Amino acid sequence: MSIKNKLNRLKSHLGTDNCNKPAPIKKQEPSIEVPYKEDWEKDGVYPFYFEDSYCLVREKEYSLDQMHGIYSFGQFAAAVEAWNSSSIRHPLSAAGHDPENIFFFDTETTGLGGGAGNSIFLLGQASLKGNKVKLKQHILPHPGAEIPLYKSFLGSIDYSTMVTYNGKAFDWPQVKTRHTLIREHVPKLPPFGHFDLYHAARRMWKHKLERIKLAAVEKDVLGIERKDDIPGFLAPMIYFDFVERKNPEGMLGIIKHNEIDILSLISLYTHLSFQILRLDDRQTPREVFEVGRWLSSLGESSEAKTAFNKISDGETQEALEARFALAFEHKKHKNWAEAARLWKSIADRGSLKSKLISCIELAKIYEHRLKDIDQAMVYAEKALELYGETSGKEKEKTSIKEEELEKRLERLNRKSI
Amino acid sequence: MKVRKNLPEIMKELISEQQYKENIVHWHTIEEKEAKTAELPDDIHPSLKDALLKRGITRLYNHQKTSYQTAMKGQSLVAVTPTASGKTLCYNLPVLQTIVNDPNARALYMFPTKALAQDQKSEINEIIQESGLNINSYTYDGDTPANIRQKVRRAGHVVITNPDMLHSAILPHHTKWVSLFENLKYVVIDELHIYRGVFGSHVANVIRRLRRICRFYGSDPIFICTSATIANPLELAEKLTEKTVKLVDNNGAPSGKKHFVFYNPPIVNKPLNIRRSATLEARKLAGELLKNKIQTIVFARSRVRVEILLSYLQELVKHKLGPKAIRGYRGGYLPTERREIEKGLRSGDIYGVVSTNALELGVDIGQLQVCVMTGYPGTIASSWQQAGRAGRRHGESLVIMVASSSPLDQYVIQNPDYFFNKSPETARINPDNLIILVDHIKCAAYELPFNVGERFGTFETEEVLEYLAEERVLHQNGDKFYWMNDSFPAHNISLRSASQENVVIIDQSDVANVKVIGEMDRFSAMTLLHEEAIYLHQGTQFQVEILDWEEKKAFVREVDVDYFTDANLAVELKVLEQDKSRISSIGEIGFGDVSVVAMATIFKKIKFETHENIGSGPITLPEEELHTSSTWLSLKEESLKFKQDRLEQGLIGTAHALKHIVPLFVMCDPQDVHVVPQVKAAHNEKPTIFFYDRYPGGVGLSEKIFGGVEHIMHETMEMVSRCSCEHGCPSCIGTDTSSETAKKDVLRILASFKNATSSEGDNIVH
Repeated sequence: MSIKNKLNRLKSHLGTDNCNKPAPIKKQEPSIEVPYKEDWEKDGVYPFYFEDSYCLVREKEYSLDQMHGIYSFGQFAAAVEAWNSSSIRHPLSAAGHDPENIFFFDTETTGLGGGAGNSIFLLGQASLKGNKVKLKQHILPHPGAEIPLYKSFLGSIDYSTMVTYNGKAFDWPQVKTRHTLIREHVPKLPPFGHFDLYHAARRMWKHKLERIKLAAVEKDVLGIERKDDIPGFLAPMIYFDFVERKNPEGMLGIIKHNEIDILSLISLYTHLSFQILRLDDRQTPREVFEVGRWLSSLGESSEAKTAFNKISDGETQEALEARFALAFEHKKHKNWAEAARLWKSIADRGSLKSKLISCIELAKIYEHRLKDIDQAMVYAEKALELYGETSGKEKEKTSIKEEELEKRLERLNRKSI
Repeated sequence: MKVRKNLPEIMKELISEQQYKENIVHWHTIEEKEAKTAELPDDIHPSLKDALLKRGITRLYNHQKTSYQTAMKGQSLVAVTPTASGKTLCYNLPVLQTIVNDPNARALYMFPTKALAQDQKSEINEIIQESGLNINSYTYDGDTPANIRQKVRRAGHVVITNPDMLHSAILPHHTKWVSLFENLKYVVIDELHIYRGVFGSHVANVIRRLRRICRFYGSDPIFICTSATIANPLELAEKLTEKTVKLVDNNGAPSGKKHFVFYNPPIVNKPLNIRRSATLEARKLAGELLKNKIQTIVFARSRVRVEILLSYLQELVKHKLGPKAIRGYRGGYLPTERREIEKGLRSGDIYGVVSTNALELGVDIGQLQVCVMTGYPGTIASSWQQAGRAGRRHGESLVIMVASSSPLDQYVIQNPDYFFNKSPETARINPDNLIILVDHIKCAAYELPFNVGERFGTFETEEVLEYLAEERVLHQNGDKFYWMNDSFPAHNISLRSASQENVVIIDQSDVANVKVIGEMDRFSAMTLLHEEAIYLHQGTQFQVEILDWEEKKAFVREVDVDYFTDANLAVELKVLEQDKSRISSIGEIGFGDVSVVAMATIFKKIKFETHENIGSGPITLPEEELHTSSTWLSLKEESLKFKQDRLEQGLIGTAHALKHIVPLFVMCDPQDVHVVPQVKAAHNEKPTIFFYDRYPGGVGLSEKIFGGVEHIMHETMEMVSRCSCEHGCPSCIGTDTSSETAKKDVLRILASFKNATSSEGDNIVH
């Protein structure tokens, strides 16, 4: 019996139930002829030939005054300039860079997750050139044309730094994976600096966005409206269909989707830069606070303080949190009196957790620094009381132990006699 | 005060005292064996030599030396090594020396379980440390933290992993392992004999994928395998690796004198032929040994029985030895817990270990004086592995096998010759099982595109590739087939089952921690996961509470019962194609593809020790169809001259007896081969008995039966005729037959089948 007959009999055990699909077009001979060439050209897509194969390339230009959401592309140059005149050390800092040395990068792939068989069928990039933004997209016309695809791409990335959205975890490792498979036929991948905006967006907006997808950030932060967009998760299906039928119709939608993704990266980078450098008048107190926290974690203490100071007056949630964070900055610099003043200002009104920590910090300062044992006892007792009100889960999160609190109180008791 | 007895005294007691003597059916003594050793090889690096000397190794056993020389010559090998014969040096030595010669060289070690991998990591790291050489060895499995994974990929000279990890994490991500695959010199496969049946057939395909990726990166590794004693280690190694392999079986490790005792519990119910429980007898024997402070390991087949034995024995010796002197050992113990037991045994703080079969798998806890097996472990090979737990290199040791009432146990215990003189079981795999193969061709296509005309191992891929292209999983462009799907194929393929359409088994014993503990193919699930079924998982009993057939989920809960369940299948069987046949004067033997339409009807609850039927219930599930391979035996009705109902009863009894004997010959679980009698087979209208592989497409078990049918019939007849019952009992033809003539008829049928299959044919008719 032929193996194919057996396979058809075993079909139900094989889990590939796709019997309703039309018969595929079989055995396309590799040819240098580009199917639907005119349709492609109508959308600015031209073949890039290499040896006996080709890939497709689409190029497009935008003027610097064009708006994409709340920013024009020209403002990206202003952001780079602002970094260059700022002294803040920050992972997204473009100090020392020329705007033209940075490129924005995004891919479309045939599946989710890493792995050798997940192929990239679209590599998209954009950068500033003179008074234009130039977009270039490299498209894989069929599997097996990866050598021209990467030839075309590697010939167009003479930059020092790339900007992506989650590219550190996904796009770039996947480029490396697919590149490894053809590494003997194409140049090496150059090393790049890498600004991954996904993590930045998470820091800034996780308080208001449920999922930090680029589309959500675009809509809620950057004011970008997409019209007739094809959602990214359909990309594999559309590509598989394109590979079989060759008609560019569906692919053009994906190409457009990728184009907007990349353009949004420009606006997002601009926006994040203005946020961090506090050049955005529309910045909310919450955003100021998140920037302050970020700077603080980077050791940019005086910048962080400036940010916190800006929002620390009043009784709003942000103000309380800012004072709490500010107190730690002062503690770092041994400004005990100032730190104590700030903690006192929240010791009876912040969240349970910040009240608790404030009291512990106050007890420590009064005991060891300001040498006021009575005050220290007041706060140590209050801390123990607050700890009693804290739920078990919260206790675990704070990693504060009851024994320590009791020990402190005992010690203070001994000292006070 | 009573003086403590030593082992020789206890043995004398076993021989002389009535209460033991009458139950001992066979006493086999294996004489002491001297070590056979050879000089350390001259070409090993001085640091490596030092490390060996520091561990007290001044010479190598013959098999270690042969393995070293073979591997260093660039030839793949399989070393057959009994328990505690120093098998790890067979591979560690050539691997480490090769890395000394070429620091870029890499080796991949594959162990069937994570626990074994951990064990071996500490072993190889000790040698590396003592040698002071700059060699990195790491385990790479589900527990490896993300931050060191990158280091393992880049700089691990020796990467220690398991086949599941290789299949789903390493091969699909081969581009992250370039330095491993470019420089892979050795692949070590430990516990080769575990890779049989469905699991082995999967792993053979994983190795095809591995070798394909190696070729892409320009390497062609040497395979070093080690195996317990099975009948066909060389054949298995060659089938699994598809390389020419050299057999190394000149075991030079010494062993002390060993006594192997077959112990059959006394019959307590003569008419029903029910024997005293094996657990009770094992308990009595182990208790006597432990009271005399003789280090003993007791094996039991399930966790429940381990618990019963453990609590009894601990109670027994609590005052004499202290409660910690006897330990339980179950699967999934951490290396530190094992080390503790090992240390306790060496220092003499621990006298006894009660274990499930988990210990059988190469995990080393040191050696004891006596091994007591509660029931026959299922195969000759695993019996020897368990027996290997008793016996030091010097001094005497004792192994007692206590038989249960099952037909297989009774067969073995009454056929010591068979056990000691026949070669142990053959391990079968069928890498070309289409269902398994197609799954791995998908994975392979994901990893690297296929060229038209490319072989996958020894398999011609053309038709499968075309089929997958028609199914839109692959896309052909020019002379290549590319993966064209958005899934990650390895994630949907479990190496431990044959079909993707599986029933997931969900343990809901702990409401706060409901978890998936396994999966099973649909066809097997009908008889093994129906509601109220007892499902055994790593020695633990679970009862199926709900079987959601639509959603393919079985919800189970841990229980502690003294029975197992056995379901009846109403089977309609059609021969689709006959691939091979042999015809003799009375009937014919065929092998080929069959379609099995089966419906589960009822299940029975069967008591562990006595195999009594203690209850039953209905099963309501839709019928299922299975395409698989089968061997069948048909005979001319005239030659039997039976009336219809006697023929039917006789065939049922024959099938029952065969079902228990078959696993002995093909080295499989009893559930892996089904035996179905038909009074009138659809394809030839003759009384026929079918043996078919439970797994869709077959894994080679039926094919093996086709080759050895004469032997199976003969041994089954011996078993039935030797059984002391009058009209059939659970230990021979089962109790499904109601007629008093059943046993006689079974023997007549067996004899006629035997005549049908052998030319000499002796006529035994009772």
